[in-house]
Amino acid sequence: MTAVTSYWNRLSIPSRVLLVAVPAVLVLGAIATVALVLILPPLVDFLAANEDLVRFVLAATVIIVITIPTAFVIIYLELKVIARMNLRVGPDRVGPWGTAQSLAHGFKFLSKEDYTPRGVDVPIFTMAPVAVFLATIMSLLVIPFAPGLVAQDFNIALLYFFAIGGLNIVGLMMAGWASFNKYSLIGALRAAAQAISYEIPLTLSVVGVIILAGTMSLSSIVEQQAGSFLDWNLWKQPLALIIFFIAATAEANRTPLDMTEADQELVAGFATEYSGMRYGFFFFAEYVNVFVVSAMLVVLFFGGWNAPFDWPFPVAIALDPASLGLGLLFAGALVPVIGTLVLALPFWLGSSRISALQALVLGFILFNVLAVTAAFGWAFISVDWVAGLVWMMAKTYVFVFIFVQMRATFPRVRVDQLMGFAWKWLLPAALLNIFVTAIAVSLTANR
Amino acid sequence: MSMVPGLGLLRGMALTFRRFFQPAVTIRYPEVDADIAVKYRGRLQLLHDEHGTLKCETCFQCAQACPIECIDMGGTDTKGRYAVHWGAAETYGERREESALRRAGREVPDDPYARFEPVDVAAVDAILEEHEHDPHRMLSILEAVQAEFGHLPVAALKRISHRTGAWYAMIYGTATYYRHLRFERTVEEVAVCRCTACLMAGGGGLAAAIGAGLRTELGRPTPDGRIRFAWLSTHVPGAAAPLVAVDGEPQPEVTAANATAWAQALAGEHPATRTVH
Repeated sequence: MTAVTSYWNRLSIPSRVLLVAVPAVLVLGAIATVALVLILPPLVDFLAANEDLVRFVLAATVIIVITIPTAFVIIYLELKVIARMNLRVGPDRVGPWGTAQSLAHGFKFLSKEDYTPRGVDVPIFTMAPVAVFLATIMSLLVIPFAPGLVAQDFNIALLYFFAIGGLNIVGLMMAGWASFNKYSLIGALRAAAQAISYEIPLTLSVVGVIILAGTMSLSSIVEQQAGSFLDWNLWKQPLALIIFFIAATAEANRTPLDMTEADQELVAGFATEYSGMRYGFFFFAEYVNVFVVSAMLVVLFFGGWNAPFDWPFPVAIALDPASLGLGLLFAGALVPVIGTLVLALPFWLGSSRISALQALVLGFILFNVLAVTAAFGWAFISVDWVAGLVWMMAKTYVFVFIFVQMRATFPRVRVDQLMGFAWKWLLPAALLNIFVTAIAVSLTANR
Repeated sequence: MSMVPGLGLLRGMALTFRRFFQPAVTIRYPEVDADIAVKYRGRLQLLHDEHGTLKCETCFQCAQACPIECIDMGGTDTKGRYAVHWGAAETYGERREESALRRAGREVPDDPYARFEPVDVAAVDAILEEHEHDPHRMLSILEAVQAEFGHLPVAALKRISHRTGAWYAMIYGTATYYRHLRFERTVEEVAVCRCTACLMAGGGGLAAAIGAGLRTELGRPTPDGRIRFAWLSTHVPGAAAPLVAVDGEPQPEVTAANATAWAQALAGEHPATRTVH
C-alpha cells in the first residue's frame, strides 16, 4: 500500500491523468465494442424495418437543432448589420468580431430568473412560448431545402404551412390571456388582430402561384421553376410577390409592421409578464420565423434550390473510391502526411525566421483548408443536394438581410395605417391577382 | 412625394445599403483615444494666477471663437469694467431670470445696456451713417465715437454692433487692441517720468507718494476710475527732474514732500491744486 501511495505521489499531474485515463479508455472501449457487436445487427434491422419512423425522428431532431444556430446567426446579423448601417461597429467584444454575442444573449436569458407572477394561469402561461415556438418549427418541417432534403414532403405542404403558421396567434393569445394582466391581454388582442388581418392577403397572394403550379406541394413548385432565373415565379407573379413580402413582414412581426411588439412604445404587449428563457423563447421563435418566411419567399418566388442560371456544361466527377482497393487505405494514410509536408516545405525554405514546427503547423492548416475546399467543391459539383442547399441558403439569407435592413431603415407604422393597409390595399390587390392569374391561365389553357 | 408608390421606401433602403459599406465612425474608446486638440480640456473654467488674480482679461477671444456662441460674459472684470462669467446663460443666477423670460417669449430687458449710462444714440448713428455702416471701417468708427464722447461708452458700442451687424465681441476686441481707444471715463492721466535722470532725482519715491495719495498703484486707475496713474515713457523736454505730468503737462510744483497731499487733492477733485499751462 505504501509503495503504491509513494509511487502515485511521485507522479506529475499529466502522468496521473494518463495512468487513469488510458486503462479506463481501454476497458470502456472493449465493453463498447462487445456491446456494439451484440446490439448493432438487431438495431439496424429494427431501423430498416421502420424507415419512415427513423426518417421522421431524424428530421424532427434536425429541424429543432438547426433552429438554434439559425436564430443565433440572425440575431448576430441583426445586431451587426443594423450597427453597420448606423455607421456603428456593433458587438465586437464576445468572440472574434463579436460572433458569440448571440450565445451570450442566450446564456443571459438562461441565467435570468424565470418568474411566474401571482394569479397567472400556470399551465397556459407555461405552454404559450412552447406553442409559439412549436408553430414556427412545424412550419419549418415542410420547407424543401434541397432535392430530397425536406423533412416531410406533403402534397398539401403550402396549406399546411399557412395552417400551422396561423397557430402562432394561438400562442400569443395564450400568453396574453394567461398573464392575468389586462395590458398583456390588450397586447395579445392587438397582435392577434394584426396577424389575422395579414394572414388573409398572405394566403390569398399565393393562390396565384398555386393556380400556375397546379399543386400545393412545395417540392413540385420548386421543380417547376427549374432553369435559369427567368423561369422563377417572380416574373409570373410580381404582384403576389409584393403582397406576400409585405404580409410576411407583418406575419413575422418585423419592422415596419411590428405592432405586436413595438418594444419602444408598447412594452412588448403580450410578453409583458414573461421573463427569463420563457420570454427568450418568444423572440427565439421570432427570429426563426424570419428565416422561415425568407425561405418560403425563396421557395415560392425565387426558384427555391434552383441555381439562378443553367450550368453551362454537365459536370459530374464520378469518384469510385472502392476501385482503389487496398490503395485507398494507403492513400488515406499517406496523402495528409505528404500534403502537409509538401505544403510546409515552401514556408520552411522560404523564410529563415519560420521554424520547422511553425512551418509544419502552417502546412497542416493549409492542407486542411485545401482539402475541405476540394471536398466541398466536389460535393457542390457532383452531389445534387449540396448545391441545392447552398443556393437555397444563399437566397434565403439575402432575404433575411433585407428584413434586417428594413428594420434599420423604416419607422414603425401607426396601428390604424397597419390595419387599413391590409384591408383596403393588400386584400383587393390579392383578389385582383387571383382573377388576373385565373383568367390568364384559362385563356392559355383553351388554346 | 414621387409618382411611383414605394419609391421612397426603395430610396431609404438604398441609403442604408450605402451606409452599410461606409466606415464606422465609432471610436473604440478604451483601446483608441479620440483625436482631440492638445489644448482641449473639455470644460469652461476661469483660471487664476499664482497671486490669486483672475487671468481673464475679457479679451472676448474665447467668445469670438466659440462656434455655437455658448460663451457669454457679464459681471465685473479685473479692471473693474465688466462682470465676467462663463458658459451658458442659464447656469448663472444673474442670467437665470433672463433665460426664463426668453423661453417664455417675453421681451428680455438688456441689463448690461441699462447698467451703463445711456448715450446720445443720434450722434452714434450720425457717425455710422458717415461710415456707411461698414464694419470693415470699425477703427475709424471707434475713433470718431471716442472723439465724440471722450471715451467708448458701452451703450455706443452696443449701438454700433446692432447697426453694423458686427459681433460685440469683435468690436470690443478691436477697441481693446488699440491703446488709444479708452473705455474709462478717465479724463486725466497722472504720470511719473521713468527716465534715468528722474529716477536718480527721486522719481521712485515720488511715484510711491502719489500712488498713496491716489489710493492706487502704477499702471492702474483710481478706485473711482477717473484718474489713471502710469509711468511717463518719455521725458518732456526742458522739464525739471523728477517730473510729474498730468495729461502730458509737467507739474513742476509737485515735490516728494507735497506729492501725497497733492495727489489726494487731485483725487478729491480740487481744481485749485492743478496747474494748467
